[in-house]
Amino acid sequence: MSRTSNIVDFLEAGIKAESLRQKAIANNVANLQTAGYRRIDIKFEQLLAKALNSHGAADLDEIRPLIYQPKQTPVKSNGNDVNLETEVGEMVKNTLRHKLFVRLLNKKYLAMEAAINVK
Amino acid sequence: MEVNNSFDPIDIAISGMRAQDKSIGVISSNIANAQSTDGGQGQPYRRLEAVFKAAGDDIGGVTLDEIAADMSELPRILRPGHPNADEQGYVTMPNVDLPIEMVNLTMAARAYQANVAVLKRYQQMVETTLELLR
Repeated sequence: MSRTSNIVDFLEAGIKAESLRQKAIANNVANLQTAGYRRIDIKFEQLLAKALNSHGAADLDEIRPLIYQPKQTPVKSNGNDVNLETEVGEMVKNTLRHKLFVRLLNKKYLAMEAAINVK
Repeated sequence: MEVNNSFDPIDIAISGMRAQDKSIGVISSNIANAQSTDGGQGQPYRRLEAVFKAAGDDIGGVTLDEIAADMSELPRILRPGHPNADEQGYVTMPNVDLPIEMVNLTMAARAYQANVAVLKRYQQMVETTLELLR
């Protein structure tokens, strides 16, 4: 498998996870009134932390984002546990993280470009 | 390695929004039942109050502790024709006072807005930090 300790790969995986999480949030909000629906979330940061903990480098398959149902929020009478405020908060956090990763990636590419352009 | 969670202010603001949302739900129940002479068990509806509690020992936002019934005295009004009237023609009414509920509603709505303002401002702060990466 492709084992990596390259920051660009990690940032790329992070951005992928973030866009998947955005989809999950959109799905949760769309099912705000759906009876029996449990909210979904993405597990990524924990996987990355675990992978980096054990050997400093991560297998890209190890840190593939996972969709799961946290089942921690209280369930409403119709069996649904989506809360609009929570989803908005998650969306704000997700957007900020996404912005951070894109900017870091941009900085990395700028550094590469600077190295290429040395005369 | 631990997963860094530097978005605590967002979670706290969201907990405030959720608490005020529940509070508004309780107030709307009180207003809707302002005339309910039967709250389910043959007794008039008692007004409810959302009781908040600080979540966690440290800085952890707010949670709804309980929805408690207001045990203050139920007013009695003279309405002999009412099916729930007693022998003297008095009906026991819910202890809901509409002006009080409207004031509480305004306060809850404002508190909700305040939490949204905190959330927005914190978002701007993080974005300012991210500007350093440009």
